[in-house]
Amino acid sequence: MTVNDQVGVPEDAMRRLAEMRPGQATSLFTSDLSVNEFLLVREAGFRPLGLVLGSSIYHVGLQMGRWSKNQELGTLSQAMYHARELAMSRMEAEADQLGADGIVGVRLDIEFKEFGNDLAEFIAVGTAVKADEDHPVTPDGYSWHNNRGKPFTSDLSGQDFWTLLQAGYAPLDMVMGSCVYHIAHQRFTQTLGNVGQNVEIPQYTEALYDARELAMSRMQAEAEALEAEGIVGVQLLGLAHRWGGHTTEFFAIGTAVRPLRPDHVIAAPQLVLPLTD
Amino acid sequence: MVDWDGRGLPPAAAERMARFHRHPVATSLLEVPDAVALASVGLTPVGEVMGCIVQHMGWQGYGGCGWYGGGLGGGFGRRPGFGGPLGGLGGLVGPGVGPGFGTGGVSGYGYQGAGTVTSGRGGFAGYAPYVDALYRGFGTALSRMGAEAQAMAADGVVGVKIIETSMGEGNREFMAMGTAVRAASQTRPARMFVTDASGPDVAKLMLAGWVPVNIAIGISVAIRHDDYTTQLQARSWSSSNVEVSGYTELVQHVRADARQRFDAAARADSADAATVSGMTLSIWEIEPGEGHIDHAAECRVVGNSVARFHRGEQAISSTLTVLPLRGA
Repeated sequence: MTVNDQVGVPEDAMRRLAEMRPGQATSLFTSDLSVNEFLLVREAGFRPLGLVLGSSIYHVGLQMGRWSKNQELGTLSQAMYHARELAMSRMEAEADQLGADGIVGVRLDIEFKEFGNDLAEFIAVGTAVKADEDHPVTPDGYSWHNNRGKPFTSDLSGQDFWTLLQAGYAPLDMVMGSCVYHIAHQRFTQTLGNVGQNVEIPQYTEALYDARELAMSRMQAEAEALEAEGIVGVQLLGLAHRWGGHTTEFFAIGTAVRPLRPDHVIAAPQLVLPLTD
Repeated sequence: MVDWDGRGLPPAAAERMARFHRHPVATSLLEVPDAVALASVGLTPVGEVMGCIVQHMGWQGYGGCGWYGGGLGGGFGRRPGFGGPLGGLGGLVGPGVGPGFGTGGVSGYGYQGAGTVTSGRGGFAGYAPYVDALYRGFGTALSRMGAEAQAMAADGVVGVKIIETSMGEGNREFMAMGTAVRAASQTRPARMFVTDASGPDVAKLMLAGWVPVNIAIGISVAIRHDDYTTQLQARSWSSSNVEVSGYTELVQHVRADARQRFDAAARADSADAATVSGMTLSIWEIEPGEGHIDHAAECRVVGNSVARFHRGEQAISSTLTVLPLRGA
């Protein structure tokens, strides 16, 4: 954009503000997007329809693990997964009502509440979007819905979402896997045997491997069910929540994608040297 | 110090404005990137502006859940279906969570659950006087800030920060501060624009054909009776992992109500879009009756309403992909 083009900007903007009459009816939409995301989503060929949100307050009770045994706490894994799924599906239901093609910028958070023991709120917030007619990156008759008949969801930032589409991929759904794991305590004799030595404690290593692999393979299984080509933006988190040092939730989450065209080339970016930190 | 009757600007602010007219020195809260970005869309800072109010927030309103304080609510609230027999019945029926509950937020927007009372009902329901006081606090701070900007003949205020500070003894300060700007244009806006977006964000919006209009705020407080099912689901010694449907309903309704008020605020400005810059939620316990605990929740949604001025069907596109030469 040249300098000349910008001269009209304040004029046009102020004229619009001068025309405004409070109370005039407009087709307003709300969004949970930052300015960056808002503009990039528009630029990627989508119209924001509105902010959508789903939430569930869940009682996450305790499940006791054997003190000296590495094991998954299956009930807790299931609870953590189910509560997230409830929040996500309520958010998707809101988006469905708006006739959305997808939900972008999804944030999935857990907040343990102060007012009750073991109570946590699981919340999913995002912006429902509709693709422009004749979207430039998609073939004719392309449906943005995934094979579950649901609008796509993605937790990618505005920048990542734009780049993904430019590279010829479409998001399908957020996929996740959860595993709550109890890591065995060492017996006194074992601890004694390691005193003054720098050694691997295979038992711990194995436990962490086990738990992470379970979480990741559950996420992968979800992507397989969606017939995805891959998963992008994966986060693998170790969340201690409130269960003490030996019980941890390993949580894997990412966005499953499918290709829109055979080649995946984007224009080489311009290198810039920012004059700020 | 001169006594001030609370109308217009306080003497100290009026004095600063008079001084500004004698010697117009452009102060600002902008950092370098803000200033450069604003200059690129023809906005020049004219001065730093501020508005504040200290309020005593004594009476928060009737805090009953519609179950224990039934009679009281009926007497105070003068609203059938709230504190009266219907409200009581709501508590008895318990969680109105069934299939399709998740869609309630959109379809019903202000839909009230069987046992949830939100401040959106007005009157004295669900801490409505407290919510009104919050609105008055934020509104007054923003309008006093606006008055300063008006005195500087500004077209808008950017980078607004809203700060709420508790001063103890039920007193709270509400403050808004930002930088007043003037546009390089022949036309003056019908009403000054106000936004909490930073300089670069304002510039990006304007270059893409959108102009900020106003700050929109949605606040709601809701109370829900802890019925037997809720108590059973939430008790801490139980090891069962279940959804506490009553609390879910409480937060769902308080958010729906706050979002609706946010939406209404943006609509009242006749804006084309609203972006959310922050949404907070808190839950606490109240004891409306002897030995009985209920739960109340407060939700606040703050954001910007924006208006579109580009006329094309397609968004204005000028994105150049760059790779910054620095560590991530």
